[in-house]
Amino acid sequence: MKREFTCIVCPNGCEIEAEYEMKNDAVELVNVSGNLCKRGAEYVRQELVNPERTIASSVLVSGGELPLCSVRLNRPVPKGKIFDVMKEIKELKLSAPVSAGTVLIHDVLGLGSDVVVTKSVEKAL
Amino acid sequence: MEIKQLDVLVVGGGPAGLAAAVELYRKGIKDILVVEREKHLGGILRQCIHDGFGLTRFGSTMSGPEYAERFIHEAREMGIPCIVNAAVTEITNDKVVTVVTRDGIRKYQAKAVVLAMGCRERTRGALAIPGERPAGVFTAGVAQAYMNLYNRMPAKEVVILGSGDIGMIMARRLTLEGAHVKAVFEIQPYPSGLPRNIEQCLKDYGIPLYLSRTVTNVHGDVRLQGVTVSEVDEHMRPIPGTEKYYECDTLILSVGLIPENELSIDAGVQLDGRTRGARVNEFFETNVPGIFSAGNVLHVHDLVDFVSLEAESLADAAAEYVQEGRLPACPIEIVYDKNVNHTVPMAVSGTRPFRISMRVNRPMKDVRVVLRQDGREVASKKMKKAIPAEMIQFTVDAEKLEGSGKLEVSVE
Amino acid sequence: MEELFDVIVIGGGVVGCAIARELSRYKLRIGVLEKNPDVGYETSARNTGVCHGGFAYDPGTLKARMCVEGNKEMGRLSEELDFKFRRCGKVLVGNTEEERARLLEVIRQGEMNGASGLRMIEKEELHRLVPSVLGEFALLSENSGIIDPFMMTIALAENAVHNGAEFFLQREVEAIRRDEEGNWVITARTWPFGGKVSHAERESGEQASVKAEASGGRNPVSGDQESAGQAPGTVREEFRTRWVVNSAGLSCGKISDMLGIKGYKIIYSKDDYIILDNRLGSMVPMPIYTVPSNTYMGIHVTVTTDGNVLLGPTAEDIDKPSGYGVEQKNIDYLYDAAMAIWPHVKRGDYIRTYCGILPKWVDEKGVIQDFKIEIRDDIAPRAVNLVGMESPALTGAPAIARYVVGMMLEREEFPENADFDPVRKGIPKFSELPEEEQERLIAMDADFGELVCRCQKVTKAEILAAIRNPLGAQTMVAVKYRTRAMMGRCQGGYCQMRIAEMLEQETGARPEEITYARQGSNIFYGKVREA
Repeated sequence: MKREFTCIVCPNGCEIEAEYEMKNDAVELVNVSGNLCKRGAEYVRQELVNPERTIASSVLVSGGELPLCSVRLNRPVPKGKIFDVMKEIKELKLSAPVSAGTVLIHDVLGLGSDVVVTKSVEKAL
Repeated sequence: MEIKQLDVLVVGGGPAGLAAAVELYRKGIKDILVVEREKHLGGILRQCIHDGFGLTRFGSTMSGPEYAERFIHEAREMGIPCIVNAAVTEITNDKVVTVVTRDGIRKYQAKAVVLAMGCRERTRGALAIPGERPAGVFTAGVAQAYMNLYNRMPAKEVVILGSGDIGMIMARRLTLEGAHVKAVFEIQPYPSGLPRNIEQCLKDYGIPLYLSRTVTNVHGDVRLQGVTVSEVDEHMRPIPGTEKYYECDTLILSVGLIPENELSIDAGVQLDGRTRGARVNEFFETNVPGIFSAGNVLHVHDLVDFVSLEAESLADAAAEYVQEGRLPACPIEIVYDKNVNHTVPMAVSGTRPFRISMRVNRPMKDVRVVLRQDGREVASKKMKKAIPAEMIQFTVDAEKLEGSGKLEVSVE
Repeated sequence: MEELFDVIVIGGGVVGCAIARELSRYKLRIGVLEKNPDVGYETSARNTGVCHGGFAYDPGTLKARMCVEGNKEMGRLSEELDFKFRRCGKVLVGNTEEERARLLEVIRQGEMNGASGLRMIEKEELHRLVPSVLGEFALLSENSGIIDPFMMTIALAENAVHNGAEFFLQREVEAIRRDEEGNWVITARTWPFGGKVSHAERESGEQASVKAEASGGRNPVSGDQESAGQAPGTVREEFRTRWVVNSAGLSCGKISDMLGIKGYKIIYSKDDYIILDNRLGSMVPMPIYTVPSNTYMGIHVTVTTDGNVLLGPTAEDIDKPSGYGVEQKNIDYLYDAAMAIWPHVKRGDYIRTYCGILPKWVDEKGVIQDFKIEIRDDIAPRAVNLVGMESPALTGAPAIARYVVGMMLEREEFPENADFDPVRKGIPKFSELPEEEQERLIAMDADFGELVCRCQKVTKAEILAAIRNPLGAQTMVAVKYRTRAMMGRCQGGYCQMRIAEMLEQETGARPEEITYARQGSNIFYGKVREA
């Protein structure tokens, strides 16, 4: 089988052409071309088995100099789970101060990814 | 009024200004001041909460606020003076800088000034989109600030005009927060943002991208009610009879960025017609001696990593300028062919290696970017694809240059 | 409890505000009803802002007389009320002998109207005065000038409030009747904002305030809140008054009918404009016009008091005011037409487009008539009816106001207001002050040291003063008109978030209540994350 991909691993956005075979649930890549690095092949394999994405969002902060702190996942989750993870993030409520790097949810929904604060919010003056 | 003496004043505490300040400090220039108009350092990165920054500069991917924090942290560790909530209102051509702060007006005489003000978004008015003027028309960056910094939801049913990266990133952001993004329309026959964003911001969420189309009417006298979209011909003129109405309450514009050079113009800095940033030499020095420019105020970049790297190169040159009092002359002009939209720098000295940043003005496949002097090839770069969305960079070995003949960049 | 108004002015345009201010020289209870959330929202703010010389109107008309009189006093008025006015002159450029003859005719007409400072100038002088123009010769009108039309209207209104008038914004008049005592009863609907109904009146101190409760002179109409088909929160009120003034601008015909003075035919002229960056202001030292025909002044290239160059207007006749959209063909037309007299238009300098609509009273044949200013003692006593107040009503506003009050005084004596104070001070414009003055302001109030709008260099102190304006106008556009914030090349890209936030903080409104301009122009659908 053949399929074309736009790699999203880095800004190069390589257009990759992959030839592959499906054996049971495993993918066997026969030929991968167009990628500038080997992460492209890994990306293609993952896309074929179970596409994963990371997301970024915001969490409500009370008593802070800013109303929100930004968060992201520290590793990608299955594409189909994105809106479930968003639901978890929307539930969160924090009080200032909040510091970047704090893990808000460990292993969100058992997907092996943490929700991490990416922006510190000081207490309002 | 007392005028304080400084080695370098950096205008703007975003990714360019901070990177320049940190690098200047490393080079031993410690009498510096970063002036930032916002209450926080970090510039536009503060609202870019998505992932994907830093792969080139730091080798790992992170969000905008985290990327900014790397530089803010370094500047703090070094004790680099930064004033925030402070607006530069004037820069003279002899480098006297006026700053308005809540504590009063300050004046500085700097040996060198670094322009790092970033860019602004092209607006509806600048495009002269016809129709009414209801609420609900936002540039992508404004919508992003409302959502990510101010906790305000500006949209429910959305149409996006322009396939710039911020527009696509906002398409995803709005979708994740429950808005419905109907479509993205691009007037050019090719997307203006990066392919990875088409993939992960539009395709992932089933948002269609239509090329060669533009908004030709805006409806709604108080809040937006809908837009008319038309197909355009090869000269980007709307084709009558192709109008289609889309009901929506919000139109997001992602139609280009413009370097923010109002202060530069007043300082006597000459701008380039293509980049709308300063015309600089390989040292990122403008026509005004001692005034330097880098980052998005010089030319709009595709990635923040390149902004920081460029500002660091600027800092090396500015440090030399402060220490030596001068930089080598740059008599060798850089010109380009019809496939090239612009290059930075616009002139080089020929005495040391330099880097050319450029963009093509249409998508091309299997090309060679070639630099020639007097018809002689001095550098080249092979590329499988060249697209306007991506900045192309290559380094040139100065030893290959002879005399001060013009350099010509071509894409073939 | 209910107290009678002496005069209710319907319409807070430049003419209505000028009338309110002129009336405030007398001890009267004066109310102004304005359907929009601020004064000067329609024709008064949407024009070229040119202070006309008075030569373009037929001798003997009110238009000619009001224009010449208004022009003469504009300098003094702008000083009293602290709005921008510059008597910069204006040129009407021509190329052919027919055009020269027409211009000479215009000069004769102007002189008959009492306008002065009109003369022909030849190519050399024209290009010395306006180097950027194309043309062989011109009529120079030395006494023409440019006005800041937003601020002139606001200044008149604020000074009226300062002298005791009350302003009721967002009051759309729905019906007018007379009670058994012969007083006028005006029914208006309104919409609360931030839980309050707007009402601006002077308090003991300098500042006026916006009050929440219904007070004397107007009654909430019971049982009529939120009737079917109405926007939620709609409230109806009745205003009882001895005198009424119809200064409703675009709605003059409708209000005239409600007063019982029927039959005026109004047509509308829609004018589209393009605004260019204010870096170009120095290239247009005075407005540049072409040679006018009898009915159309032609395309002009003008300059605002803030240095923005305007291209326009298009002047299309339309049957009814139908929104402020600008069509692509008009944008293209304006470009071509402006280039013919001022070949410096670059699309990169476009800030935005806008459009204004003028009401014109026409006869059965469709011929445009003079201003109509009347009191019909027979069918509508104590009602001043102003119909077809189009150009030059901005220039003529102070004279029109005096004329209107004069007609009232012929019928009734008003006691003088001994406390009348003609002076109004506007919000200091930080960016236009000398540095020592800027320093002094920052020392007094640190908010002057915080720039919110970078393009126009507007400080936080100015924004706050605009939000706390004496009229109680609480929209984004109210701030924009008063400070110029969001009017620059980034069109609020940098500052609008902060202004919206300050507006919420100052007014106590929820995010979803914040409007850009008119009712319904809400900016937000609540918060991304609710507490």
